[in-house]
Amino acid sequence: MILAMSKVRILGPRARLDDVLRALQDLNLVHLSTPDTPTPLATVSLTTAQERERRHLRAALLDVEQALEALAATTGPLAAGPAIPATGDFARWARLAGRVRRETDRLKTRAAELEDERALILKYQHFFSAFRALLESEARWPNATAYHVLVKSGDAGAIPQLRASLTAVIGDEFQLYSQPLPSGEIAVLVVVSAQAAGRVERLLAEARVQEIPVPQAYGGHSLTEAIPKMLARLGEIPREIEDGRRRRADLARAHAAELRRARLALHDRLRALEALPLSGVTPRAFIIEGWVPTRARHDLETGLQRACGDDVVVGELKKEEWESEQAPVVLANPRLLRPFETLIRIMPLPRYGSIDPTPFVAVFFPAFFGLMVGDVGYGLVLAVIGLLLHARSRPGTTLRNVAEIIGPCALFSILAGFLFGELFGDLGRRWLGLRPLAFNREDAIVPFLLLAVAIGAVHVLLGLVLGMVSARRHPRQAMGRGISALMIVLVILALLAAVGVLPRQFFSPAVIGLLVAFPVLIVLEGLVAPIELLATLGNILSYVRIMALGVASVMLAVVANKMVGAIGSVAVGILFALLFHLVNFVIAVFSPTIHALRLHYVEFFGKFYSPGGVRYQPFGHWTRAPAPARAAPRTARHAA
Amino acid sequence: MNPVLIALAAALAVAIPALATAWAQSRIGPAMAASMAEKPELSTIAVLMIAIPETMVILGFVVAVVILVRT
Repeated sequence: MILAMSKVRILGPRARLDDVLRALQDLNLVHLSTPDTPTPLATVSLTTAQERERRHLRAALLDVEQALEALAATTGPLAAGPAIPATGDFARWARLAGRVRRETDRLKTRAAELEDERALILKYQHFFSAFRALLESEARWPNATAYHVLVKSGDAGAIPQLRASLTAVIGDEFQLYSQPLPSGEIAVLVVVSAQAAGRVERLLAEARVQEIPVPQAYGGHSLTEAIPKMLARLGEIPREIEDGRRRRADLARAHAAELRRARLALHDRLRALEALPLSGVTPRAFIIEGWVPTRARHDLETGLQRACGDDVVVGELKKEEWESEQAPVVLANPRLLRPFETLIRIMPLPRYGSIDPTPFVAVFFPAFFGLMVGDVGYGLVLAVIGLLLHARSRPGTTLRNVAEIIGPCALFSILAGFLFGELFGDLGRRWLGLRPLAFNREDAIVPFLLLAVAIGAVHVLLGLVLGMVSARRHPRQAMGRGISALMIVLVILALLAAVGVLPRQFFSPAVIGLLVAFPVLIVLEGLVAPIELLATLGNILSYVRIMALGVASVMLAVVANKMVGAIGSVAVGILFALLFHLVNFVIAVFSPTIHALRLHYVEFFGKFYSPGGVRYQPFGHWTRAPAPARAAPRTARHAA
Repeated sequence: MNPVLIALAAALAVAIPALATAWAQSRIGPAMAASMAEKPELSTIAVLMIAIPETMVILGFVVAVVILVRT
């Protein structure tokens, strides 16, 4: 359900505005809004000094967050210090954050340069190894020029061609050496006399031969000079990288706790500054308006009185004075249903005053999932996975919610497995004599199809009824939705009577009812209503996917079991069967989840869900977790 | 009716919507991938969007079942 909210107005002498805002930040209960009250109120504008302070705080906060990110120290204990920081603290933190950020930036840049340098040297390393001996001969050619060439793997014929071309151009004034590399390429060293260098360069360029340049950074014009320097450098780089890491760890040890404290204080101060313009003032008084969960209103009153005395008054605005669309939304469901709020939060929040679909999702989602998987064995495996996830997750995290959703899904899968008599496909039937309590999905395709459509009819009709309830303040719209639901029922009755499931006597009254309801629907909802009615019938048919996925799942499981006898060796057959079951299990978990979600979001929610709710964000102290985590436990713990 | 023709009709009832689904998913996939590059929080919606065209092949499957069961 969506928690009831009250709109409150806080009044007091203007001189106490800062005190009240501080108390409200400590209480963490009020979702602030701009006062609706007309003149003579003026909104509070930040002074030039406050604007400047805000700019500086934002810049400092950016530095703090970047520094903490670079130090990999975003979480951890805070440095000790007074609860309310002094003005000088902010300036000190700004300087510290700037210094640490610059230092971490420098370390990061240096680490990237070192990695690039290492990658470059490693690229040359194999070439060096191949030529270490050969390059010594280069030294014996003082008036010679060396060319270092790579020939692609599988292109060994290029070397005789190169030799022939060189002979044709410069005669025998050259030496050519070649060595295969571990990569498959062939390293070639060509040493020519200095006079012939120009002609050789032209020849290499025309032949588009890949020449390896000598890196300038290591000095000299020959690899002979560069190799020892590069190899020595390769040995130094890891040490320099390690030095950088150590320096970063030192910085984290020295400053991370202080920076985390600075982050908290900077966020808090910024929030306080940004809350100021949401207040309305007269020359002598101020007004603050906002939303608070109705059941926490008393906490707000007592908290403010304790902090600010009797100077400040809290009053509640009447429901007629505010529009429900403006109120923020807090989803508050019983413990068992709460994990399913995760599935609702994927969508935009429902509007205040509309229906929270969590309880319906908590029932239908596991039921649809179970009907699609429908296997005792797969259900048990899923339950084990759910328990493992539960054990390895922390309360309140998405992973814990997922684990708690898996539980009911596994339970429904096991129950449906008994209904269909399935344990790893037909294995339960063959080995344990498991018999279906309802029907066998392998054979009874048509009954399963009818069951899926019937479930769809119930689900969609429920959606239409909820739509009628949520439109209760707009009678015309509510009646239109009611007539749509009635017509769907009449269509189903007529169809059942036509195919002989119901007595024939039902057919004529159902058709007459449809003929009467049709013009009423057009009057209430307009000409588009018949199209929507057809779309609704299409929505019901869409539930056939429960049957389609269910049958596909059992067929794959049966095929997996048949592999044991079908492939020569029993051991290989068992291995293939297990592999196939594993694949089927993954599909059986993934696909039903997607399709059960789709049935809810598209077919079910489309009938009543009103998205566009505003998230409840009480004005309070900053935390890394979303703001509601810090809200009063009794009231705002479940805020979306 | 010739059982070969019945089987062929059932196969086509699944195959043609399957091709249509594949075509639709091939258009949705890159679009959602591009959206997710800008807004990673759309990942769940992306998976759902990919699942939407599967309705075609599922209904095709139902038609195939009806063809096989009714004849």
